[in-house]
Amino acid sequence: MLHLQVMSEGTDGAAPTSTGSVSPSPNRVRVIDATLSCLARQGTAKTTVDDIAREAGLSRATVYRVFPGGRDEVLAAVVDTEMARLFSALGVCLGEAQGLKEALVGGIVEASTRIRGHAALAYLVEHEPEMVLGHLAFDESDRLLATASRFTAPFLARWMSPMEAGRVAEWATRIVLSYVIVPSANLDLTDPARAAHLVETFVLPGIRALHDAGATAAIDITPFDFAAPPSAGPPDQPTAIQPKSEPSMPSMQ
Amino acid sequence: MDDNRQRILEATYACVARWGMAKTTVEDAAREAKVSRATVYRTFPGGRDELINAVVNWATLEFFGRLYEQVQGADSLETVMERGIMFAHRSIVEHEVLQRVMQTEPDKLLPALTFESNRIRRGIAEFLVPYLDQRGVAAGVDLGEAADFLARMVLSYMSAPGRWDLDDPVQVAQLVRAELLAGVVAVPSPMPTGAVGDPDGRR
Repeated sequence: MLHLQVMSEGTDGAAPTSTGSVSPSPNRVRVIDATLSCLARQGTAKTTVDDIAREAGLSRATVYRVFPGGRDEVLAAVVDTEMARLFSALGVCLGEAQGLKEALVGGIVEASTRIRGHAALAYLVEHEPEMVLGHLAFDESDRLLATASRFTAPFLARWMSPMEAGRVAEWATRIVLSYVIVPSANLDLTDPARAAHLVETFVLPGIRALHDAGATAAIDITPFDFAAPPSAGPPDQPTAIQPKSEPSMPSMQ
Repeated sequence: MDDNRQRILEATYACVARWGMAKTTVEDAAREAKVSRATVYRTFPGGRDELINAVVNWATLEFFGRLYEQVQGADSLETVMERGIMFAHRSIVEHEVLQRVMQTEPDKLLPALTFESNRIRRGIAEFLVPYLDQRGVAAGVDLGEAADFLARMVLSYMSAPGRWDLDDPVQVAQLVRAELLAGVVAVPSPMPTGAVGDPDGRR
């Protein structure tokens, strides 16, 4: 099973060489992107270090210099890198959102589109499902939910308490995973209009109810104005949810 | 289901519980069921692969059969969902065979279980439709779409509780009434008093 170690960069071979390379190991990125091409074509079982080196236009020795652990280390780095790429795209999208609805819809569409459009992942799901499914069930799935919601919660905390943001971030992650793993005929979440429909219909009323339920909690509930009661207006009405402050880039920690 | 089939499946399940999925052979199943190899092959012409898939299907149906017994006759949509989620969560945590196979052979179990989950999701959705219909869905909510959404969420929470303590009836009631039903039902469900626990304080 692929080892999932999100956001925990190991040795990355980025040490400046005596020839004075400036960018952080372009070879590392080349190897990772070449591996992605190999995976999209032939999966993990058939991909060798030779294949990766050929695809990257590098020697085997160079691949081993960047990844002394060989194939397994490359595969782990690919998972790390792809998760980091997904999260940074999500971060941009969530950070730029002007309102809660925009953040939810944008984040759901961004994540769904990237996961669904991922050629290497698609190959693995089709031909080596055991490589992927382990991350999506039971305890491992809990870990994935925790990782994804820890990352996205601070962005949502612009509109709600940190505790509510944690719950909503996890909920949105569940929604993305469910509809990505088993696409729905009428709720294609890569389609912004359909994602907006889902958010308006199921998610925003749920957030209001969560907020009301937590109103008695002895914790800090940031002023939170859900002026419009659920289903009070036409669904395409601009949402009454306002950011509590100017949009800013939340801390990633 | 004919007797032989049931008997072989129960025997295969016992073998998997003892030795795991990879090591269970047609011979083992036949011996355990006290039938001949030929009988196993007659019942499961695909041999070991078919037998293993059939036993996952059988155990899954058995699991959801018990879940169905727990929730049928519940008087409200809220009760169905709350009872169902709590029971399913408990049963998964306490399911020794499932837990062991998940630990030792997830690569064998998960593809079969994923295949089953499609059918299960449709089953849960179909089961919920009359309850939703009776409860009344919110304006603009499509009954089928809502039932499918609820089934997806139920499956998600029962396999991975995340920040929710699914042994706590108050939390489950809040989960059901907020994340699951708030947008779906025409008239909001009353929310139980008590705060939604601080998820970060839990672990």
